[in-house]
Amino acid sequence: MKVSEAAQKAGFQVIVPGEDQEIEGIYCGDLLSWVMGKGQPGQAWITVQSHLNVIAVAVLREFSCLILAEGAQFPPEVIERAENEGLCLLCSELPVYETALKLHETGI
Amino acid sequence: MFYDLHIHSCLSPCAEEEMTPNNIVNMALLKELDLIAVTDHNSVRQLPAVAKVAEAMGLRMLYGAELESSEEVHVLGLYDELEKAMSLQPWLDQHLPFIPNDEHYFGKEELRDENDELIGKEERLLIISLDQDLESCIEAIHATGGKAILAHVLDRKNSVTNQLGFIPEGLAYDGLEVKDEYQRQQVCKTHPWIRDEETFWLIDSDAHRLIDMSERVNSLPHSELQKMWRKLS
Repeated sequence: MKVSEAAQKAGFQVIVPGEDQEIEGIYCGDLLSWVMGKGQPGQAWITVQSHLNVIAVAVLREFSCLILAEGAQFPPEVIERAENEGLCLLCSELPVYETALKLHETGI
Repeated sequence: MFYDLHIHSCLSPCAEEEMTPNNIVNMALLKELDLIAVTDHNSVRQLPAVAKVAEAMGLRMLYGAELESSEEVHVLGLYDELEKAMSLQPWLDQHLPFIPNDEHYFGKEELRDENDELIGKEERLLIISLDQDLESCIEAIHATGGKAILAHVLDRKNSVTNQLGFIPEGLAYDGLEVKDEYQRQQVCKTHPWIRDEETFWLIDSDAHRLIDMSERVNSLPHSELQKMWRKLS
C-alpha cells in the first residue's frame, strides 16, 4: 500500500507528502542508534523523536515515511529538510502503540 | 594540568552519599589533580559549598552541571566563575518537570554546606530530562557564559550517539567528552565532519563514588584551557 493511501485510511495528518512510496512493514523506536541498526528499507517508522537527525536516519534506512506519534510536532527545520529529501512526514495524535495498530488495520 | 571535569556530588541521586564537598576536594588533592568540576544532574545548587572548600584547600575548580535534554542527551555546562554557573539555575528550575524524588528508589538528593552539614534536600527528581531540546540546552549554557561539552559521547546510555544516532554536524558544542583515546579515534572515524585537532576533547570520570574519580592521568595544557575560555566569550 502506498503511503498516501495508508495515511488517509489511518487518519494521519500529512505534513510533507514526499515521494509516495510503498509501505513494507512498520518499525517503532526512539533511540536513533537502534533505529539506524535495526530499521529495514520500506518500513513506516513510528517515533516520538523529532530531532533533525531523524531525517538522516530515515533516509539512511530508506524508510517509506516517518510518523510522529503522541501529537508531537516537527520543528520547521525538520520539515524543510524532509521536503528537500522527498521524505514523507506524517503526524498521529495517538500513542505509538495505537498508531502502529491503526496502520496495521489499514492492511499493512 | 591534571583534571577531572565531570564529578557528581551527593546532590545527584545516583551518586553515593560520600560525595560531599570536603570528600570530593580532599580526594582530588589526594589524587593530585590540579583542576576539577562538580557537575550534578540538572542543578548547580551544590556548587557554592564545593567552591568554598576548594578555595580554602587551594584546589582550582570549574563550576558545572550536567543537563539532560528532551532527547535524553547529557551535556555538560562548564563555567569559569561561580556566579555565571549559578545564573543557570532559574532556567533549570523553569524547565525541569516537577516530579517528586522517591529517594528509596532513586537515591537521596542532599545539599551540604562547606562543613559537609546537611542543609537541605532537593524535592524534585533531578535525573529526568528537561523540556528543552539539545540545541536549546546548549544555547542556555552559552547565554549564561558557559561552555557546552557533549558528555560521554559514545556511552550506551544518555549519550548523543545513543539517543540521536550520531553527533549532528553544525551543533554548537564547545567540546566532546570521551572515556579514553580509543573512543576519541572512534568518534573521528565515524564523524568525517569532526576535525580531531580542532576539537576540544575531555576524558573525565563521571564519578558517582570517590574511588571512581580520575587518577592523575588526563592532562590539558593550561594554554589550551585558556584558549577554550576565550573562544566564544
